[in-house]
Amino acid sequence: MNSQTTSAARSSAAPLQPELTKRKLLVLAWLDRLAPVLAALAVIGVWELICRVFALPNYLLPSPSAIVTSAFALDPGIWLTHTWATLRVSLGGYALAIIIAIPLAVLLANSRLMSRTLYPMLVVIQSTPIVGVAPIIVVLMGAGEMPRIFITFLITFFPIVVSTVTGLMSTPEELKELSRSLGASKAREIRNIQLPFAVPYIFSALRISITLAIIGAVVAEFVAAEKGLGFFIAFSTSFLRIPQAFAALIVLVTLSLLLFQVIALVQRWLFPWSLPKESR
Amino acid sequence: MALRLFKHSLFALGLLAASTTAAFAADKIRWMNDWLPSGDKAAIYLGVEQGFFAEEGIEVEIINGRGSSEVVTRLAAGAADMGTGGLPALLQAKAEQTINVSAVMSIYSMQPDLLILPEGSPIRSLADVEGKTLGTATFSASNVIWPILLRSNDIDPDSVNLVRMDPGALGPMLAAGRVDGTINWITKIPSFAEVMQEAGKDVEVILWSDYGLDGYGLSVLASDRLIQRNPDLVERATRAYSRALALAVENPRLAAEALKAHVPEMDVELAAAEFEASIPLIVNDISDANGIGTFEPELLAKTWEWVARSQELALDALDPTSAIDTRFIAD
Repeated sequence: MNSQTTSAARSSAAPLQPELTKRKLLVLAWLDRLAPVLAALAVIGVWELICRVFALPNYLLPSPSAIVTSAFALDPGIWLTHTWATLRVSLGGYALAIIIAIPLAVLLANSRLMSRTLYPMLVVIQSTPIVGVAPIIVVLMGAGEMPRIFITFLITFFPIVVSTVTGLMSTPEELKELSRSLGASKAREIRNIQLPFAVPYIFSALRISITLAIIGAVVAEFVAAEKGLGFFIAFSTSFLRIPQAFAALIVLVTLSLLLFQVIALVQRWLFPWSLPKESR
Repeated sequence: MALRLFKHSLFALGLLAASTTAAFAADKIRWMNDWLPSGDKAAIYLGVEQGFFAEEGIEVEIINGRGSSEVVTRLAAGAADMGTGGLPALLQAKAEQTINVSAVMSIYSMQPDLLILPEGSPIRSLADVEGKTLGTATFSASNVIWPILLRSNDIDPDSVNLVRMDPGALGPMLAAGRVDGTINWITKIPSFAEVMQEAGKDVEVILWSDYGLDGYGLSVLASDRLIQRNPDLVERATRAYSRALALAVENPRLAAEALKAHVPEMDVELAAAEFEASIPLIVNDISDANGIGTFEPELLAKTWEWVARSQELALDALDPTSAIDTRFIAD
C-alpha cells in the first residue's frame, strides 16, 4: 500500500518536474542578468538607510536621495556644459595618446636602440606625479584647452605604449621569419603580422586608458579650468555643497563606464576575432 | 573692364572694412581672478555685465586661478594680463626673484584672515587657541602669517594643533566638531554659516586684524609687459574695475546677479552675502582717509613687514613701493 502511494505520487510529480526546473532556470537566468543592477540597487538602498537611520548630515555623507535632489535642482544645461567640456578634454587627450603611443610602440618594439633610448624616458614621464607638474604645464602652455588635453595625454599614453609593445613582441618568431623568407617588407610585416597580434593587447590598454582619460581631464580641471566636471566639483566643494559634488562624481563615473563600453563595442565591431570566443 | 573695376572696388572696400574694424576693435585683456568664482570676486563680472569695460574699449576674458601665487606666476609668464591677488604674495615673490608684475590698485585695505568658530566656542580670544585643534587649507597664505601673529601676541605657535586639509573639508570638519575652529577668509563666513546651520549651530569669528595684523590684501595686479606696452589700456581697465567695485559695494545683489550671468550654477543669495562680507575690507577707516584703491606708504610698509617676518626675509630685501604702480588709480 505504502509503495503504491509512493509510486502514484512519483507518477503525478513526474510531468511537473521539467516545468519546475525550466522555471527555476529562467529565474536563475534573469537573476544572473540582473545581478549587477540588483547589487547596485542594494548598495544604494543600504546607503540611503544608513544616512536616514543615523541621520547623517549632508556635509558628512549625503544620502542618494539628497544627491539626486541636488542634481535635479540644477539646470540640465549646466550639467551638459560641464559634461561636454570634460568629454572634449578626455577624448582630445585620449586621441592624442593613441596617435602618439601606437607608432611609438611600433618603433620601440622594432628598434633595440630606440627601445634602450626612449623606454627609460617614458618610465621617467610615467613616474612623475602629473598632479605636481600640472600647474607648471598650465603656466607654460597658457590658457585654453591645450594644457588640459596635454595633461590628459600624459596620464593616458603610457599604458597604451607598454601594452602595445608587449603585444607586438608577442608575435611568434616563426611567423616573422616566414614573412622575411617570403620577401615581405618590414612595413608589411608590422602591418600584417605584428599589429594584428597586438590588437587584443592594444584594446585592453585602450579600455584602461579611457577611464584614465576621464581622471586626467578631472585632474587638469582641478588645476585650471572654467568649465568641466572637475571644475564643478572644486567649485561645489568650495561652497561646501557636498551633495552637488557627489552628483558630479556620479556623472563622471557614468561617463567613464559608458566610454569603457564604447571601446569594448568598437573592438567587438571591428576586431571580433581578437576576442575570446565566449565574448564575441 | 567694368567687371574688373567692380572687383577692384570690392577689394578696396574689403580692405577699408578690415582696417576700420581693426581701428575700432576692442583691446583684449585676460583677467585672472585669484580663486574659483565666488561672491567676493563679483566686481569684475559686474564690470563686464554693466558694460564698463566695453565703454573703455576693452573685451575681457575672465580666468579662474587657484591662489594669489598662481596669479603672480601667470602674469609674470604672460599667460594673463591683469588680475586680482593678495599683495603679500606679490611682495614675497618680488623679494625672492625678478617678477615683472606690479600692483596697480588696492582692493582690501584690511587683511581678510580670521578664525571661524562654532557658536559658544571656548575660544573667546586669540590667547584661548592654546591646546586647541584648528583646521586650515593646506596651501593657504594665512598659514605663513599664523605663527607670526601668535608670537606677536605672546602665544607659542607649537601650543596649537594645526591640521592641514583640503579647503572643501574645513566646513564639514568644523560642523562635525572634529576641529575647534578653522582658519579662513572673512568672505567664507556665509558658506560656513550655511553648513553650520545644518548641524544646528551658528558661527562666531575672531578677526586677525583685531590682534595687530594690518596691511593691504587683495589688489589689482598687472604684468609689467602690459604696463610698458600699453599703459593706456591698464589705466582704462583699472578705471572700469574701480567703477564696478564701487557699484558692487553699493549693490552687492546686482554684482551677484552679474556673476550668475557668467557662472549659472552660482547661488545669487550666497554670492551677494559673500560680497557683503568683504565690504568692510574695502570700505573702512583707511579707505575713508586715503580713498579706495590707493596704497598709503605707511600701511604698505607694514604689509611688507608682515611678509618679511613670516618669510624670514631681511626688511631691506625689498622696497615695497617698487612693487606698486600708482599711476592708474582712478580718482
